[in-house]
Amino acid sequence: MIEAAGLVKAYGETRALDGVDLAVPAGSVFGLVGPNGAGKTTLLSILAGLRTPTGGTVTIGAGPSEVAVLPDTPRFDPWLTGREVVALAAALAGAPGGVEEALADAGLDEAAGRRVGGYSRGMLQRLGIAATVVGRPRVMLLDEPASALDPAGRREVLDLVRRSRGEATVVFSSHILADVQEVSDHLGILHRGRMLLQGEAGGLLEGRVEPAYVVRFRRGRDAAASALAALPWVQEAAPSGDLDLRVRVSSAAAAEEGLVAALASSGAAVVSIRPEAPSLEDLFLEVTS
Amino acid sequence: MTLWRLEWLRLVRTRRLLALTGVYVFFGFVGPLTARYLPQILERFGGDQMQVVVPDPVPADGIAQFSANATQIGLLVAVVVAAGALTMGALGEMAVFLRTRVASPARLLLPRYVVAAGAGAAAFALGSMVAWYETAVLLGGVPAGGMAAGTALGMLYLAFAAAVAAAVGSRFDGVLSTVLGALVALLVLPLLGLVGPVGRWLPSHLVGAQTDLVSGGDVAGYLGSAAVTAAVSALLLWAAVRRTGTREW
Repeated sequence: MIEAAGLVKAYGETRALDGVDLAVPAGSVFGLVGPNGAGKTTLLSILAGLRTPTGGTVTIGAGPSEVAVLPDTPRFDPWLTGREVVALAAALAGAPGGVEEALADAGLDEAAGRRVGGYSRGMLQRLGIAATVVGRPRVMLLDEPASALDPAGRREVLDLVRRSRGEATVVFSSHILADVQEVSDHLGILHRGRMLLQGEAGGLLEGRVEPAYVVRFRRGRDAAASALAALPWVQEAAPSGDLDLRVRVSSAAAAEEGLVAALASSGAAVVSIRPEAPSLEDLFLEVTS
Repeated sequence: MTLWRLEWLRLVRTRRLLALTGVYVFFGFVGPLTARYLPQILERFGGDQMQVVVPDPVPADGIAQFSANATQIGLLVAVVVAAGALTMGALGEMAVFLRTRVASPARLLLPRYVVAAGAGAAAFALGSMVAWYETAVLLGGVPAGGMAAGTALGMLYLAFAAAVAAAVGSRFDGVLSTVLGALVALLVLPLLGLVGPVGRWLPSHLVGAQTDLVSGGDVAGYLGSAAVTAAVSALLLWAAVRRTGTREW
């Protein structure tokens, strides 16, 4: 659905993008992460056709009226009402229906008749989201869509992005790595204008981050830690809090075969064993450091 | 909700339509009135030490007085209104919102230009009608044909001024910059007319058409500049569309 090859965007001597390749499958939610100045907004702007790349190619499998873009700080003519903004977006998308539904989904049904000039930043962000999703675009490019929202608003945006999976192709950038990990099925890590890593989220996280387990004890944690530390497939067995032991292993398969037996032979009283989910934050730090 | 309605709402809700019609209608009333009572006004302000002798006003003076004001303050207001609509970069995020949803920038700019230029031209026509009526009441009738032709040529000049604002606005991100740029262009243009016979072909030649035509001038003398004005306006709009399509946001 969205493909880019060798994208370069240079501003004088500075390269905001430096040979970025991108592949976003149709119907997927692609989370784009990166520190400030990594080139996320530049990349989204090029995908949206708002900036011209210095080099490389972009292919979007949708027409202009099927692509909706949400800037990180949406603003609209202040003399329009919220309802008129969404109605305009729907009309330009060629699907004039669904205005009230989009406003309600964004939590703006009560403020829809008010002029946009009186909206708070969070309300403008919600309005931008309503104007983006109305008309059911095939491609949505969202730049920090939850940046100005309170926790409830952030949750609604994440739910909205999640619901869009399969119906639209979504590329969204965020600084909040937990949000990206929660809703994305594909990930890309952009750093200093280069795409360091991209692909299917589960595969990336499990393939790159060392597996770990959290074991909770009733007693015998220290003895178990010593016993585990002696095993060749255990990288580290470090206490966590008063009751837990975090066991970092080199191989998930080895741990699945040997961890329970090792704990049993140490004589410790074990309450629970759970695998620690691989974290995007860990992956991000590992890749960008 | 369409892009045409968006522009209509811009005119109405920001009171730009009110400002435009207010200015032209005001001068439509005041112009002939000033022409009619100019001797009395000058006498009152001249005092005993000075005697100002002015010829008795004729009907064309009423229109000339309106036209002088309309082509200065009226033009300024018309350019401000056009610049407000045609400087897409003034509210960048709104421009992004619109630009990413249409295939061609022409679809965005055309309603903005037509509504802004149309409002300016209509306000000028309304002011001209008021001036015509008031002149007829206070000073006597002026030829309908000359008045209609002069008004039409004035409307064409305002459409040209809006096209200048469109072309300048496609290069700036601020309305004030666009207004200043457009005004400089409109003010410099008549200077070119000082060079030989070029002046009668320039758009600025149309500025005096209304006054001249109600004073017995020949409309044929304006056809050349009218054609040039229409062609240059189209060219300016094309440049504005092209620039809007290629600029980065």
